Amino acid sequence: MSAPLRRLRETPRHLLVCERSHVRHERSRHAARVRGHAYNCRVSFLIPECGVLPEPLKSVTTDMGEYYLVKNLPLHELVAQEFISAFVKTGSCYALSYNTRIDQDNTAALLPTDCHSPLKHIGKLILSVDKDTYEELGLQGRPSRYSGKKIMRYIITIDLTDSAFHSDSKKYKRVLWALRDKKPLEFDFLLSWHHTGADGSTLMSYFSKHQIQAHQPKITFSTLRNLQCPVLCSNELQGKPEESCSAQELFEWLGAVFSNVELDNKSFSFVSTYCCPEPSTMMDQAYLCTITGFILPEKIIQLLDQLCAYFDDPKLAQWVTLTVHGFADSPVSWRENEHGFQKGGENLYNFVVFRSLDYWLQMAVGANDDCPP
Amino acid sequence: MEKMIYSKLPVLATQHLGIQRQGSKQAEAFVKAFLKRSMPKMKDEAIQDKLTRKAVVLRHYLRRKKKEKRKKTKGFSAKQRREMQLFEIKPEQQKYELFLPLHELWKQYIRDLCNGLRPEAQPQMIQTKLLKADLHGAVVTVTKSKCPSYVGVTGIILQEMKHIFKIVTKEDKLKVIPKFNNVFSIEIDGFISYIYGSLTLTSLQSQDLS
Repeated sequence: MSAPLRRLRETPRHLLVCERSHVRHERSRHAARVRGHAYNCRVSFLIPECGVLPEPLKSVTTDMGEYYLVKNLPLHELVAQEFISAFVKTGSCYALSYNTRIDQDNTAALLPTDCHSPLKHIGKLILSVDKDTYEELGLQGRPSRYSGKKIMRYIITIDLTDSAFHSDSKKYKRVLWALRDKKPLEFDFLLSWHHTGADGSTLMSYFSKHQIQAHQPKITFSTLRNLQCPVLCSNELQGKPEESCSAQELFEWLGAVFSNVELDNKSFSFVSTYCCPEPSTMMDQAYLCTITGFILPEKIIQLLDQLCAYFDDPKLAQWVTLTVHGFADSPVSWRENEHGFQKGGENLYNFVVFRSLDYWLQMAVGANDDCPP
Repeated sequence: MEKMIYSKLPVLATQHLGIQRQGSKQAEAFVKAFLKRSMPKMKDEAIQDKLTRKAVVLRHYLRRKKKEKRKKTKGFSAKQRREMQLFEIKPEQQKYELFLPLHELWKQYIRDLCNGLRPEAQPQMIQTKLLKADLHGAVVTVTKSKCPSYVGVTGIILQEMKHIFKIVTKEDKLKVIPKFNNVFSIEIDGFISYIYGSLTLTSLQSQDLS
Protein backbone atom coordinates (compact mmCIF):
# COMPACT_ATOMS: atom_id res chain seq x y z
CA MET A 1 0.00 0.00 0.00
CA SER A 2 1.34 3.41 -0.91
CA ALA A 3 2.32 5.86 1.78
CA PRO A 4 -0.52 8.40 1.39
CA LEU A 5 -3.11 5.64 1.46
CA ARG A 6 -1.62 4.22 4.60
CA ARG A 7 -1.68 7.67 6.16
CA LEU A 8 -5.38 7.94 5.31
CA ARG A 9 -6.12 4.71 7.10
CA GLU A 10 -4.35 5.81 10.23
CA THR A 11 -6.60 7.19 12.90
CA PRO A 12 -5.74 10.81 13.65
CA ARG A 13 -4.98 11.74 17.20
CA HIS A 14 -8.05 12.18 19.36
CA LEU A 15 -8.57 12.84 23.01
CA LEU A 16 -11.17 11.63 25.45
CA VAL A 17 -11.15 13.10 28.93
CA CYS A 18 -13.34 11.44 31.55
CA GLU A 19 -14.20 12.72 34.97
CA ARG A 20 -16.53 11.55 37.67
CA SER A 21 -18.33 13.54 40.33
CA HIS A 22 -21.68 14.13 41.96
CA VAL A 23 -24.21 16.66 40.65
CA ARG A 24 -24.87 18.10 44.09
CA HIS A 25 -21.21 18.20 45.06
CA GLU A 26 -20.26 21.75 45.87
CA ARG A 27 -17.08 21.62 43.83
CA SER A 28 -18.60 19.84 40.92
CA ARG A 29 -17.65 21.58 37.73
CA HIS A 30 -20.29 20.21 35.42
CA ALA A 31 -22.02 23.58 34.97
CA ALA A 32 -18.73 25.30 34.21
CA ARG A 33 -17.90 22.64 31.65
CA VAL A 34 -21.23 23.17 29.91
CA ARG A 35 -20.88 26.94 29.97
CA GLY A 36 -17.36 26.70 28.67
CA HIS A 37 -18.56 24.97 25.55
CA ALA A 38 -20.28 27.85 23.85
CA TYR A 39 -21.35 26.59 20.44
CA ASN A 40 -23.48 23.49 20.38
CA CYS A 41 -25.21 22.19 17.30
CA ARG A 42 -26.76 18.98 18.57
CA VAL A 43 -28.02 17.76 21.89
CA SER A 44 -29.28 14.24 22.31
CA PHE A 45 -30.33 12.35 25.38
CA LEU A 46 -31.06 8.70 25.89
CA ILE A 47 -33.25 7.42 28.69
CA PRO A 48 -33.47 3.65 29.02
CA GLU A 49 -36.72 2.05 30.13
CA CYS A 50 -38.75 5.13 29.37
CA GLY A 51 -41.78 5.30 27.11
CA VAL A 52 -43.12 8.79 27.71
CA LEU A 53 -41.20 11.82 28.82
CA PRO A 54 -42.23 13.38 32.13
CA GLU A 55 -43.93 16.75 31.64
CA PRO A 56 -41.20 19.09 33.01
CA LEU A 57 -38.53 17.42 30.91
CA LYS A 58 -40.72 17.64 27.85
CA SER A 59 -41.36 21.34 28.32
CA VAL A 60 -37.63 22.06 28.62
CA THR A 61 -36.97 20.02 25.51
CA THR A 62 -39.52 21.86 23.45
CA ASP A 63 -38.37 25.25 24.70
CA MET A 64 -34.72 25.32 23.74
CA GLY A 65 -34.90 28.94 22.69
CA GLU A 66 -34.96 30.68 19.38
CA TYR A 67 -31.89 31.50 17.41
CA TYR A 68 -31.40 33.83 14.52
CA LEU A 69 -29.62 33.64 11.23
CA VAL A 70 -28.42 36.97 9.85
CA LYS A 71 -27.26 37.00 6.26
CA ASN A 72 -24.23 39.05 5.15
CA LEU A 73 -23.70 40.86 8.39
CA PRO A 74 -20.63 43.13 8.26
CA LEU A 75 -18.34 42.19 11.07
CA HIS A 76 -17.95 45.74 12.30
CA GLU A 77 -21.59 45.65 13.43
CA LEU A 78 -20.52 43.29 16.18
CA VAL A 79 -17.92 45.69 17.52
CA ALA A 80 -20.18 48.75 17.39
CA GLN A 81 -20.59 50.38 20.76
CA GLU A 82 -24.39 50.22 20.64
CA PHE A 83 -24.27 46.49 20.09
CA ILE A 84 -21.77 45.94 22.88
CA SER A 85 -23.69 47.97 25.41
CA ALA A 86 -27.06 46.56 24.38
CA PHE A 87 -26.21 42.88 24.15
CA VAL A 88 -22.67 41.87 25.02
CA LYS A 89 -22.49 43.60 28.37
CA THR A 90 -26.04 42.96 29.51
CA GLY A 91 -26.48 39.28 28.77
CA SER A 92 -24.78 36.37 27.12
CA CYS A 93 -24.57 37.04 23.44
CA TYR A 94 -23.50 34.20 21.19
CA ALA A 95 -22.57 34.59 17.57
CA LEU A 96 -20.93 32.16 15.21
CA SER A 97 -20.28 32.55 11.52
CA TYR A 98 -22.37 30.12 9.55
CA ASN A 99 -21.25 28.01 6.59
CA THR A 100 -17.65 29.01 6.99
CA ARG A 101 -15.06 26.29 7.06
CA ILE A 102 -12.47 26.53 9.75
CA ASP A 103 -9.67 25.10 7.64
CA GLN A 104 -10.07 27.29 4.57
CA ASP A 105 -12.37 30.27 5.20
CA ASN A 106 -12.29 33.15 7.59
CA THR A 107 -14.34 32.38 10.64
CA ALA A 108 -15.67 34.59 13.40
CA ALA A 109 -17.20 33.82 16.76
CA LEU A 110 -18.40 35.98 19.59
CA LEU A 111 -17.92 34.41 22.98
CA PRO A 112 -20.48 35.49 25.57
CA THR A 113 -19.93 37.40 28.73
CA ASP A 114 -19.91 34.79 31.41
CA CYS A 115 -21.46 36.23 34.52
CA HIS A 116 -20.58 33.15 36.56
CA SER A 117 -16.87 33.42 36.04
CA PRO A 118 -16.05 37.05 35.32
CA LEU A 119 -12.38 36.38 34.80
CA LYS A 120 -12.85 33.78 32.13
CA HIS A 121 -14.01 34.50 28.63
CA ILE A 122 -15.63 37.87 28.82
CA GLY A 123 -17.27 38.95 25.62
CA LYS A 124 -14.49 38.22 23.20
CA LEU A 125 -14.66 38.29 19.46
CA ILE A 126 -12.49 35.57 17.97
CA LEU A 127 -11.46 35.68 14.35
CA SER A 128 -9.73 32.82 12.67
CA VAL A 129 -8.38 34.21 9.41
CA ASP A 130 -6.11 33.00 6.65
CA LYS A 131 -2.71 34.53 6.05
CA ASP A 132 -3.70 36.97 3.31
CA THR A 133 -6.62 38.38 5.24
CA TYR A 134 -4.48 38.72 8.32
CA GLU A 135 -1.85 40.67 6.44
CA GLU A 136 -4.43 43.01 5.02
CA LEU A 137 -6.49 43.40 8.16
CA GLY A 138 -3.81 45.01 10.28
CA LEU A 139 -4.97 43.65 13.61
CA GLN A 140 -2.56 41.95 15.93
CA GLY A 141 -3.11 38.23 16.31
CA ARG A 142 -1.21 35.07 16.93
CA PRO A 143 -0.43 32.19 14.61
CA SER A 144 -2.73 29.23 14.81
CA ARG A 145 -1.31 26.29 16.70
CA TYR A 146 -2.25 23.85 14.00
CA SER A 147 -1.19 25.54 10.80
CA GLY A 148 2.17 23.85 10.54
CA LYS A 149 5.62 25.19 9.84
CA LYS A 150 4.53 27.70 7.26
CA ILE A 151 1.89 29.68 9.04
CA MET A 152 -1.26 30.01 6.96
CA ARG A 153 -3.81 30.83 9.66
CA TYR A 154 -3.95 33.38 12.41
CA ILE A 155 -6.20 33.86 15.41
CA ILE A 156 -7.21 37.38 16.35
CA THR A 157 -8.87 37.94 19.70
CA ILE A 158 -10.67 41.19 20.42
CA ASP A 159 -11.87 41.77 23.95
CA LEU A 160 -15.11 43.70 23.57
CA THR A 161 -15.74 44.32 27.24
CA ASP A 162 -12.25 45.56 27.99
CA SER A 163 -12.31 48.88 29.84
CA ALA A 164 -9.89 50.29 27.25
CA PHE A 165 -12.31 49.41 24.49
CA HIS A 166 -14.52 52.49 24.56
CA SER A 167 -15.52 54.62 21.63
CA ASP A 168 -12.70 57.18 22.04
CA SER A 169 -9.86 54.77 22.57
CA LYS A 170 -7.19 54.23 19.98
CA LYS A 171 -7.70 50.49 20.16
CA TYR A 172 -11.38 50.74 19.38
CA LYS A 173 -10.79 53.12 16.49
CA ARG A 174 -8.17 50.83 15.04
CA VAL A 175 -10.44 47.79 15.22
CA LEU A 176 -13.34 49.68 13.71
CA TRP A 177 -11.14 51.05 10.94
CA ALA A 178 -9.72 47.63 10.18
CA LEU A 179 -13.09 45.88 10.05
CA ARG A 180 -15.05 48.65 8.36
CA ASP A 181 -12.67 50.49 6.03
CA LYS A 182 -9.56 48.42 5.56
CA LYS A 183 -10.91 44.95 4.97
CA PRO A 184 -14.69 44.72 5.27
CA LEU A 185 -15.52 41.18 6.25
CA GLU A 186 -19.01 39.81 5.94
CA PHE A 187 -20.40 36.64 7.36
CA ASP A 188 -23.68 34.87 7.79
CA PHE A 189 -24.11 34.74 11.52
CA LEU A 190 -25.94 32.48 13.85
CA LEU A 191 -26.98 34.70 16.73
CA SER A 192 -28.52 34.09 20.06
CA TRP A 193 -28.88 36.13 23.17
CA HIS A 194 -29.58 34.93 26.65
CA HIS A 195 -30.73 37.41 29.21
CA THR A 196 -32.97 36.66 32.14
CA GLY A 197 -36.14 38.67 31.90
CA ALA A 198 -35.63 39.77 28.33
CA ASP A 199 -36.77 38.31 25.09
CA GLY A 200 -34.44 37.40 22.29
CA SER A 201 -36.60 39.34 19.88
CA THR A 202 -34.68 42.54 20.78
CA LEU A 203 -31.89 41.03 18.75
CA MET A 204 -34.24 40.67 15.83
CA SER A 205 -35.34 44.28 15.99
CA TYR A 206 -31.74 45.48 16.34
CA PHE A 207 -30.71 43.73 13.14
CA SER A 208 -33.96 44.46 11.32
CA LYS A 209 -31.98 46.32 8.65
CA HIS A 210 -30.29 43.09 7.67
CA GLN A 211 -31.82 39.87 6.49
CA ILE A 212 -32.63 38.13 9.71
CA GLN A 213 -34.59 34.94 10.20
CA ALA A 214 -35.71 33.32 13.42
CA HIS A 215 -35.30 29.58 13.74
CA GLN A 216 -36.47 27.02 16.24
CA PRO A 217 -34.30 24.06 17.12
CA LYS A 218 -35.44 20.90 15.40
CA ILE A 219 -36.49 18.14 17.73
CA THR A 220 -36.78 14.46 16.84
CA PHE A 221 -38.04 11.81 19.21
CA SER A 222 -37.74 8.12 18.80
CA THR A 223 -38.26 5.06 20.92
CA LEU A 224 -35.73 2.31 20.47
CA ARG A 225 -37.11 -1.18 21.04
CA ASN A 226 -35.19 -4.14 22.44
CA LEU A 227 -31.96 -2.30 22.92
CA GLN A 228 -28.98 -3.97 24.45
CA CYS A 229 -27.43 -1.59 26.98
CA PRO A 230 -24.10 -1.92 28.71
CA VAL A 231 -24.10 -2.30 32.47
CA LEU A 232 -22.44 0.60 34.22
CA CYS A 233 -21.23 1.08 37.72
CA SER A 234 -20.84 4.68 38.79
CA ASN A 235 -17.72 3.99 40.86
CA GLU A 236 -15.93 2.16 38.12
CA LEU A 237 -14.89 4.62 35.45
CA GLN A 238 -12.43 2.09 34.08
CA GLY A 239 -14.95 -0.74 34.22
CA LYS A 240 -14.45 -4.14 35.78
CA PRO A 241 -14.34 -7.35 33.78
CA GLU A 242 -17.58 -9.33 34.16
CA GLU A 243 -19.17 -6.58 36.25
CA SER A 244 -19.41 -3.28 34.38
CA CYS A 245 -18.30 -1.54 31.22
CA SER A 246 -15.76 1.24 31.05
CA ALA A 247 -16.51 4.83 30.10
CA GLN A 248 -14.73 4.40 26.81
CA GLU A 249 -16.82 1.38 25.86
CA LEU A 250 -19.98 3.27 26.71
CA PHE A 251 -18.87 6.20 24.60
CA GLU A 252 -18.32 3.97 21.63
CA TRP A 253 -21.66 2.24 22.14
CA LEU A 254 -23.49 5.58 22.38
CA GLY A 255 -22.00 6.64 19.10
CA ALA A 256 -23.31 3.46 17.52
CA VAL A 257 -26.79 3.99 19.00
CA PHE A 258 -27.03 7.60 17.85
CA SER A 259 -26.04 6.72 14.33
CA ASN A 260 -28.44 3.76 14.17
CA VAL A 261 -25.83 1.09 13.73
CA GLU A 262 -27.15 -2.44 14.06
CA LEU A 263 -25.65 -3.93 17.13
CA ASP A 264 -26.47 -7.59 16.66
CA ASN A 265 -23.41 -8.51 14.58
CA LYS A 266 -25.26 -10.79 12.20
CA SER A 267 -23.12 -13.14 10.20
CA PHE A 268 -24.40 -11.83 6.86
CA SER A 269 -23.88 -8.16 7.69
CA PHE A 270 -20.68 -6.79 6.23
CA VAL A 271 -21.29 -3.19 7.21
CA SER A 272 -20.49 -3.40 10.85
CA THR A 273 -19.30 -6.08 13.18
CA TYR A 274 -19.78 -3.94 16.23
CA CYS A 275 -21.85 -5.29 19.10
CA CYS A 276 -22.74 -4.11 22.54
CA PRO A 277 -19.90 -4.35 25.07
CA GLU A 278 -20.23 -6.97 27.78
CA PRO A 279 -21.76 -7.21 30.30
CA SER A 280 -25.04 -5.92 29.00
CA THR A 281 -28.74 -6.12 29.68
CA MET A 282 -31.67 -6.10 27.34
CA MET A 283 -33.96 -3.08 27.56
CA ASP A 284 -37.50 -3.23 26.31
CA GLN A 285 -37.40 0.31 25.15
CA ALA A 286 -35.26 3.41 25.34
CA TYR A 287 -36.20 6.99 24.67
CA LEU A 288 -33.93 8.90 22.34
CA CYS A 289 -34.41 12.59 21.72
CA THR A 290 -32.23 14.72 19.46
CA ILE A 291 -32.32 18.50 19.23
CA THR A 292 -30.41 20.28 16.50
CA GLY A 293 -29.86 23.99 16.14
CA PHE A 294 -27.82 26.72 17.75
CA ILE A 295 -28.27 25.70 21.35
CA LEU A 296 -27.12 27.81 24.25
CA PRO A 297 -25.25 26.31 27.22
CA GLU A 298 -27.81 27.89 29.55
CA LYS A 299 -30.52 25.74 28.01
CA ILE A 300 -28.36 22.66 28.24
CA ILE A 301 -27.88 23.27 31.95
CA GLN A 302 -31.67 23.46 32.33
CA LEU A 303 -31.99 20.23 30.44
CA LEU A 304 -29.34 18.59 32.58
CA ASP A 305 -31.13 19.71 35.75
CA GLN A 306 -34.35 18.21 34.47
CA LEU A 307 -32.60 14.97 33.63
CA CYS A 308 -31.35 14.83 37.20
CA ALA A 309 -34.86 15.55 38.42
CA TYR A 310 -35.97 12.54 36.41
CA PHE A 311 -34.63 10.35 39.20
CA ASP A 312 -36.74 12.11 41.86
CA ASP A 313 -39.39 9.46 41.41
CA PRO A 314 -38.24 5.87 41.45
CA LYS A 315 -37.42 4.75 37.91
CA LEU A 316 -36.34 1.55 36.24
CA ALA A 317 -33.41 3.17 34.48
CA GLN A 318 -29.98 2.97 36.07
CA TRP A 319 -28.62 5.92 34.20
CA VAL A 320 -29.42 8.48 31.51
CA THR A 321 -27.06 10.09 29.05
CA LEU A 322 -26.87 13.56 27.56
CA THR A 323 -24.61 14.10 24.59
CA VAL A 324 -23.76 17.52 23.22
CA HIS A 325 -22.00 18.03 19.91
CA GLY A 326 -20.16 21.25 19.17
CA PHE A 327 -19.98 22.88 15.76
CA ALA A 328 -17.26 21.22 13.75
CA ASP A 329 -16.22 24.54 12.24
CA SER A 330 -16.26 26.72 15.30
CA PRO A 331 -12.91 28.39 16.03
CA VAL A 332 -13.02 27.41 19.70
CA SER A 333 -13.98 24.30 21.58
CA TRP A 334 -13.92 24.89 25.31
CA ARG A 335 -13.52 28.49 26.37
CA GLU A 336 -10.84 29.96 24.14
CA ASN A 337 -9.16 26.69 23.30
CA GLU A 338 -8.42 26.64 19.64
CA HIS A 339 -10.36 24.22 17.55
CA GLY A 340 -9.42 22.82 14.15
CA PHE A 341 -10.96 20.44 11.71
CA GLN A 342 -8.43 18.10 10.11
CA LYS A 343 -10.60 15.01 9.64
CA GLY A 344 -13.80 15.39 11.58
CA GLY A 345 -13.67 18.53 13.67
CA GLU A 346 -15.43 16.71 16.46
CA ASN A 347 -15.74 18.40 19.81
CA LEU A 348 -18.38 16.91 22.03
CA TYR A 349 -19.14 15.96 25.56
CA ASN A 350 -21.32 13.39 27.18
CA PHE A 351 -22.91 13.21 30.59
CA VAL A 352 -23.91 9.92 32.14
CA VAL A 353 -26.09 10.66 35.15
CA PHE A 354 -26.68 7.75 37.50
CA ARG A 355 -29.62 7.12 39.73
CA SER A 356 -27.57 8.26 42.72
CA LEU A 357 -26.90 11.56 40.85
CA ASP A 358 -23.28 10.63 40.43
CA TYR A 359 -22.22 11.57 36.96
CA TRP A 360 -19.56 10.82 34.43
CA LEU A 361 -18.48 13.53 32.09
CA GLN A 362 -16.67 12.58 28.92
CA MET A 363 -15.14 15.26 26.74
CA ALA A 364 -13.79 14.34 23.36
CA VAL A 365 -11.93 16.32 20.73
CA GLY A 366 -10.33 15.53 17.41
CA ALA A 367 -6.85 16.04 16.07
CA ASN A 368 -6.50 19.81 15.89
CA ASP A 369 -7.69 20.70 19.36
CA ASP A 370 -6.30 21.67 22.66
CA CYS A 371 -6.96 19.26 25.45
CA PRO A 372 -10.40 19.77 27.01
CA PRO A 373 -10.33 21.40 30.44
CA MET B 1 88.05 34.87 -35.05
CA GLU B 2 85.20 36.87 -36.57
CA LYS B 3 87.53 38.20 -39.16
CA MET B 4 88.46 34.74 -40.16
CA ILE B 5 84.84 33.80 -40.72
CA TYR B 6 83.81 36.83 -42.69
CA SER B 7 86.97 37.24 -44.72
CA LYS B 8 87.04 36.17 -48.32
CA LEU B 9 88.34 32.82 -49.12
CA PRO B 10 91.85 33.00 -50.51
CA VAL B 11 91.98 32.60 -54.27
CA LEU B 12 94.28 29.63 -53.90
CA ALA B 13 91.75 27.77 -51.88
CA THR B 14 88.92 28.49 -54.30
CA GLN B 15 90.89 27.20 -57.20
CA HIS B 16 91.80 24.17 -55.23
CA LEU B 17 88.22 23.34 -54.25
CA GLY B 18 86.71 24.29 -57.59
CA ILE B 19 84.34 26.88 -56.13
CA GLN B 20 83.25 29.56 -58.47
CA ARG B 21 82.40 32.93 -57.22
CA GLN B 22 78.91 33.88 -58.16
CA GLY B 23 77.60 37.22 -59.24
CA SER B 24 75.12 38.98 -56.99
CA LYS B 25 72.14 38.31 -59.29
CA GLN B 26 72.94 34.71 -59.53
CA ALA B 27 73.23 34.52 -55.78
CA GLU B 28 69.87 36.09 -55.33
CA ALA B 29 68.19 33.73 -57.73
CA PHE B 30 69.87 30.84 -56.00
CA VAL B 31 68.61 31.89 -52.58
CA LYS B 32 65.07 32.33 -53.90
CA ALA B 33 65.04 28.96 -55.50
CA PHE B 34 66.51 27.39 -52.42
CA LEU B 35 63.93 28.88 -50.10
CA LYS B 36 61.12 27.98 -52.46
CA ARG B 37 62.27 24.44 -52.55
CA SER B 38 62.68 24.04 -48.84
CA MET B 39 59.38 25.78 -47.94
CA PRO B 40 57.01 24.88 -50.78
CA LYS B 41 53.90 25.90 -48.91
CA MET B 42 54.92 29.46 -48.29
CA LYS B 43 53.95 32.11 -50.76
CA ASP B 44 56.52 34.13 -52.59
CA GLU B 45 55.48 37.40 -51.03
CA ALA B 46 55.79 35.93 -47.55
CA ILE B 47 59.27 34.76 -48.29
CA GLN B 48 60.19 38.11 -49.68
CA ASP B 49 58.75 39.73 -46.63
CA LYS B 50 60.99 37.61 -44.44
CA LEU B 51 63.99 38.61 -46.50
CA THR B 52 63.57 42.32 -45.93
CA ARG B 53 65.70 42.43 -42.91
CA LYS B 54 64.28 43.71 -39.80
CA ALA B 55 66.20 44.44 -36.71
CA VAL B 56 65.26 42.10 -33.93
CA VAL B 57 66.62 42.93 -30.57
CA LEU B 58 67.24 39.79 -28.71
CA ARG B 59 66.78 41.11 -25.24
CA HIS B 60 64.13 40.62 -22.56
CA TYR B 61 62.17 43.76 -22.34
CA LEU B 62 60.31 44.62 -19.14
CA ARG B 63 57.33 46.80 -19.69
CA ARG B 64 56.82 48.86 -16.64
CA LYS B 65 53.35 50.17 -15.87
CA LYS B 66 53.14 53.74 -15.20
CA LYS B 67 51.68 54.35 -11.82
CA GLU B 68 48.49 56.31 -12.27
CA LYS B 69 47.92 58.86 -9.70
CA ARG B 70 44.80 58.15 -7.70
CA LYS B 71 42.06 60.62 -8.12
CA LYS B 72 41.20 62.22 -4.89
CA THR B 73 37.63 61.39 -3.82
CA LYS B 74 35.60 64.45 -3.76
CA GLY B 75 32.88 63.34 -1.35
CA PHE B 76 32.94 61.71 2.02
CA SER B 77 33.15 58.05 2.67
CA ALA B 78 30.07 56.18 3.79
CA LYS B 79 31.43 56.02 7.27
CA GLN B 80 32.03 59.75 7.37
CA ARG B 81 28.55 60.36 6.07
CA ARG B 82 27.13 58.21 8.77
CA GLU B 83 29.15 59.93 11.42
CA MET B 84 28.16 63.35 10.22
CA GLN B 85 24.53 62.25 9.97
CA LEU B 86 24.22 63.81 6.56
CA PHE B 87 21.14 61.84 5.63
CA GLU B 88 19.35 62.15 8.90
CA ILE B 89 16.35 64.40 8.84
CA LYS B 90 16.30 66.81 11.69
CA PRO B 91 13.31 66.53 13.98
CA GLU B 92 12.24 70.12 13.34
CA GLN B 93 12.12 69.39 9.64
CA GLN B 94 9.93 66.35 9.98
CA LYS B 95 6.80 68.20 8.94
CA TYR B 96 4.25 66.88 6.52
CA GLU B 97 3.53 70.31 5.05
CA LEU B 98 7.19 70.86 4.36
CA PHE B 99 7.20 67.97 1.97
CA LEU B 100 3.98 68.69 0.15
CA PRO B 101 5.86 70.61 -2.59
CA LEU B 102 8.04 67.55 -3.04
CA HIS B 103 4.91 65.52 -3.56
CA GLU B 104 3.68 68.00 -6.19
CA LEU B 105 7.03 67.73 -7.88
CA TRP B 106 6.82 63.96 -7.85
CA LYS B 107 3.35 64.01 -9.36
CA GLN B 108 4.65 66.23 -12.13
CA TYR B 109 7.52 63.84 -12.69
CA ILE B 110 5.25 60.81 -12.89
CA ARG B 111 2.96 62.59 -15.32
CA ASP B 112 5.92 63.39 -17.53
CA LEU B 113 7.19 59.86 -17.22
CA CYS B 114 3.92 58.32 -18.31
CA ASN B 115 3.34 60.94 -21.01
CA GLY B 116 0.47 62.51 -19.15
CA LEU B 117 -1.72 60.14 -17.22
CA ARG B 118 -4.73 59.55 -19.37
CA PRO B 119 -7.52 57.30 -18.24
CA GLU B 120 -7.24 55.20 -21.37
CA ALA B 121 -3.56 54.52 -20.76
CA GLN B 122 -2.58 50.93 -20.23
CA PRO B 123 -2.30 50.23 -16.55
CA GLN B 124 0.39 47.66 -17.16
CA MET B 125 2.65 50.17 -18.82
CA ILE B 126 2.16 52.64 -16.00
CA GLN B 127 2.90 49.95 -13.53
CA THR B 128 6.21 49.02 -15.07
CA LYS B 129 7.19 52.66 -15.23
CA LEU B 130 6.15 53.27 -11.65
CA LEU B 131 8.14 50.31 -10.47
CA LYS B 132 11.28 51.79 -11.91
CA ALA B 133 10.49 55.37 -11.09
CA ASP B 134 11.96 57.36 -8.30
CA LEU B 135 9.58 57.19 -5.39
CA HIS B 136 10.83 60.15 -3.39
CA GLY B 137 7.84 62.35 -2.74
CA ALA B 138 5.19 59.74 -3.41
CA VAL B 139 2.31 59.29 -1.00
CA VAL B 140 2.24 55.62 -0.12
CA THR B 141 0.05 53.48 2.09
CA VAL B 142 0.98 50.11 3.47
CA THR B 143 -1.86 47.84 2.41
CA LYS B 144 -0.48 44.47 3.32
CA SER B 145 2.15 43.55 5.77
CA LYS B 146 3.38 40.56 7.65
CA CYS B 147 3.44 42.73 10.73
CA PRO B 148 -0.07 44.07 11.29
CA SER B 149 0.98 47.32 12.92
CA TYR B 150 2.46 48.61 9.68
CA VAL B 151 -0.85 48.21 7.87
CA GLY B 152 -2.54 51.50 7.13
CA VAL B 153 0.45 53.77 7.62
CA THR B 154 0.28 56.61 5.07
CA GLY B 155 2.85 59.25 4.30
CA ILE B 156 5.24 60.91 1.88
CA ILE B 157 8.44 59.05 1.09
CA LEU B 158 11.39 61.15 2.12
CA GLN B 159 14.18 58.67 1.70
CA GLU B 160 14.57 55.39 0.05
CA MET B 161 17.30 53.01 0.99
CA LYS B 162 17.98 49.50 -0.13
CA HIS B 163 15.77 47.89 2.46
CA ILE B 164 13.64 50.65 3.90
CA PHE B 165 11.50 53.64 3.14
CA LYS B 166 11.49 56.61 5.45
CA ILE B 167 8.14 58.31 5.33
CA VAL B 168 6.58 61.23 7.14
CA THR B 169 2.97 60.82 8.15
CA LYS B 170 0.25 63.41 8.44
CA GLU B 171 0.85 63.46 12.18
CA ASP B 172 4.36 64.76 11.41
CA LYS B 173 5.99 61.54 12.49
CA LEU B 174 8.93 60.00 10.72
CA LYS B 175 8.46 56.30 10.22
CA VAL B 176 10.88 53.76 8.91
CA ILE B 177 9.15 51.03 6.98
CA PRO B 178 10.94 47.96 5.71
CA LYS B 179 10.27 47.02 2.11
CA PHE B 180 10.42 43.34 2.70
CA ASN B 181 7.12 41.54 3.35
CA ASN B 182 5.16 44.73 2.77
CA VAL B 183 2.88 45.76 -0.07
CA PHE B 184 2.51 49.45 -0.76
CA SER B 185 -0.20 51.23 -2.67
CA ILE B 186 0.48 54.40 -4.59
CA GLU B 187 -2.34 56.58 -5.77
CA ILE B 188 -1.90 59.09 -8.54
CA ASP B 189 -4.67 60.72 -10.55
CA GLY B 190 -7.07 57.89 -9.89
CA PHE B 191 -4.60 55.14 -10.67
CA ILE B 192 -3.93 52.98 -7.66
CA SER B 193 -1.05 50.63 -8.07
CA TYR B 194 0.26 48.10 -5.63
CA ILE B 195 3.97 47.70 -5.33
CA TYR B 196 5.44 44.69 -3.66
CA GLY B 197 8.21 45.95 -1.48
CA SER B 198 10.39 42.94 -2.07
CA LEU B 199 10.53 43.81 -5.79
CA THR B 200 12.06 47.22 -5.17
CA LEU B 201 14.91 45.78 -3.17
CA THR B 202 17.53 47.30 -5.44
CA SER B 203 20.14 49.70 -4.33
CA LEU B 204 19.51 53.15 -5.65
CA GLN B 205 22.52 53.26 -7.93
CA SER B 206 21.15 50.48 -10.06
CA GLN B 207 17.77 52.07 -10.37
CA ASP B 208 17.01 53.32 -13.82
CA LEU B 209 16.17 56.95 -13.43
CA SER B 210 15.26 57.56 -17.02
